[in-house]
Amino acid sequence: MELTFTPEEEAFRQEVRDFIAANLPAETRDHIKKGNPPTKEMTVNWQKTLYKKGWATPRWPAEWGGPGWSVTQMYIFQQENQIAGAPDPQGFNVGMIGPVLIRFASDEMKKEFLPKIASLDYWFCQGFSEPGAGSDLASLKTSAKWDEDGQQWIVNGQKTWTTYAQHADWIFLLVRTSNEGKKQEGISFLLVDMKSPGVEVHPIQTMDGGHEINSVFFTDVKVPAKNLIGEVNKGWTYAKFLLGNERLGAPRVGASQAKLEHLKEIAKTRIVRGKPLWDHPRFRDKFVEAQIELKALEMTVMRVLSSMQAGADTGKPDPATSVIKIKGAQMIQHLTELFVEMAGEQAAPWTDGELGDNARIGDDWVERAAPNYFNYRKSSIYGGSDQVQKGIISKAILGL
Amino acid sequence: MNFELNDEQRMLSDSVSRFLSDRYDFEKRRKYMEMEGGFDPKIWQGYADLGIFALPFSEDEGGIGGTSVETMIVGEAMGFALANEPWAEAMAIAPSLLTAGSAEQRAAVAEGIISGETVPTWAHLEPGMIDRGEGVQCSASADGVLNGTKTVVAFGAEATLIFVTAMGPEGLGLYMVKAGAKGMEARAYKTQDGKRAAELTFDGTPSEKLSGGVPAAEAIALAEARGVAAVLAESVGLMEKSIDLTVEYIKGREQFGRPIGSFQALQHIAAGAVVEKEQVRSMAMYASVMCDDADAQARDLAMSAAKVKMVDASRIVGQMSIQLHGGVGMTMEYAIGHYFKRLTMLEIAHGDRDFHMDRLCEAGGLAA
Repeated sequence: MELTFTPEEEAFRQEVRDFIAANLPAETRDHIKKGNPPTKEMTVNWQKTLYKKGWATPRWPAEWGGPGWSVTQMYIFQQENQIAGAPDPQGFNVGMIGPVLIRFASDEMKKEFLPKIASLDYWFCQGFSEPGAGSDLASLKTSAKWDEDGQQWIVNGQKTWTTYAQHADWIFLLVRTSNEGKKQEGISFLLVDMKSPGVEVHPIQTMDGGHEINSVFFTDVKVPAKNLIGEVNKGWTYAKFLLGNERLGAPRVGASQAKLEHLKEIAKTRIVRGKPLWDHPRFRDKFVEAQIELKALEMTVMRVLSSMQAGADTGKPDPATSVIKIKGAQMIQHLTELFVEMAGEQAAPWTDGELGDNARIGDDWVERAAPNYFNYRKSSIYGGSDQVQKGIISKAILGL
Repeated sequence: MNFELNDEQRMLSDSVSRFLSDRYDFEKRRKYMEMEGGFDPKIWQGYADLGIFALPFSEDEGGIGGTSVETMIVGEAMGFALANEPWAEAMAIAPSLLTAGSAEQRAAVAEGIISGETVPTWAHLEPGMIDRGEGVQCSASADGVLNGTKTVVAFGAEATLIFVTAMGPEGLGLYMVKAGAKGMEARAYKTQDGKRAAELTFDGTPSEKLSGGVPAAEAIALAEARGVAAVLAESVGLMEKSIDLTVEYIKGREQFGRPIGSFQALQHIAAGAVVEKEQVRSMAMYASVMCDDADAQARDLAMSAAKVKMVDASRIVGQMSIQLHGGVGMTMEYAIGHYFKRLTMLEIAHGDRDFHMDRLCEAGGLAA
């Protein structure tokens, strides 16, 4: 066991840091550090910069374009990116569909899709949840029927909570291909071109005023046979694999570290009841408690990554990913609470739309405080809610 | 950076766990507790024969030169078995305090501990102490004659070698007293967690001062740091076993015509405890590495962070375990209450939550 970094690892960190400093546009960095979500353009440009460097897909095997890094290097890379205010890699591409294709798709599909997934030439979104299938995902109804004459799939149904569908070129879909037997055993995994006739995207505005999520409707959408990943009716297995990967990326430790440092920086200059907030013991308590929890989370994430690297990769999600999913969500949610508390009543103005300009009375972080708090309620809901994770822990770890 | 144990460490973990599972169960532990001194000397000798007391000592001192990671491995197994002996005093405290001593002193004391002959303890706290280690009233003369009172000394009446924190003519010092020394009186008692402790009074008691090593204050700070790391390690084992016992219980206990473990309300409480336990396991690893960090401030802040996390998680896991056991969890007859009591005592050992929060808050938190 060795928790300190070797000189080689420190040198690697410096290399990453220098690369980011030289290549990340200042505008992108400032935009993100102020608490704004990156625009599509920012995410794509940064991903392409990394792709040229060979750093776009840290966890992919070298055979499919991964840089061949150790777990520690991956961790350092991610942390440096998040601390520097670089856009996160587009998670649906790099963290979800990429690994599924690498593991389960034909070589032909891998060759066709993986480079474009890595470079973000194809932006993927995730078509899992439906209005009637949330936590009980396997009850999904969007259907794919085999069209013998056209040798293709015909898809009908509705997906929802589809993050960035408005940006997407492709969607990976869970579809019902059989109603026989257990509901999990009638699900297949399809890739669908968002430009296909019959695909419609409807925006959903969230309570923070933002537009991240959408409803996506499918009406007699034709999908070529080759776009089915793996075997028919085995999609649930691939989905579980994908969700394990999603949970692993969920905690965003580096981003929380950056937020915590930002919180401290502001607290030192923000005068509250006659002295800097930083000098108020109740604030200091909350800051330190958040820091402790984040340190524990950082160690847990490293531990899970380390054991995944050391152990046999079974393709089954490690139940420990449920632990970090729960804690990661709590962490980021708690930090957004602290920003609202720090902004105080100045968190009230609504800066969107009509009269929005009049509402710009504070710094960017003040403007973003309440919207971020509202927005991050999502993190304990998506990717399997806290309650779903606890269900997984009860069954997979405790055997209840 | 890596979090994996090496082959030797895995073997250590296996052999300590096997040793303990052969010798410890709930009924056996009760018998050991009723023995004179509160533990079975044969088990103490067994630890020595297994070689675990040699782990924390350097090769120069006759030991194996392990790190605090080895102590963590042993500590987790001790917690899981709810072992009663003062292993942490031998593995974490004594080797740390001895850094204040000369090479000869270190080697001589290490020999006794490694062979199992010596049962060490640390007489540090005093009834009127302002804070941990501050305001020491116990005094030592230039030739090492001790006068004063120490409180809640672990196995104070049973230990064969007592390290005493005292104020000497040159300031804070560490002194070694042998069991049965002149003028030493021990008022022994049982503790909440089934161990033993004593109030010790020194009245003109002769001692040997540790000198020739690091200043006593540094040795004390190291002992506190490694003490916290040992608390974290033991608490991981205690929490692990508490959850095991609780899950086993709710699988078997039937109400409303089915096992209560099939109720989601209970499942989610238990799952929440798993999350906390895993966070403590991570912090135990962090503590086991950081307690030997050369930067004393970074070390102490890391220990404080680990201890605060342990306290918070310990309450969640411990209280959950009693709650899910229901009425039987309240009784002496069930093991779970004894795990809960040990966890509770560890929450206040080596500085309570407020002590550690104060230390972190004054420093502005962990280094970024």
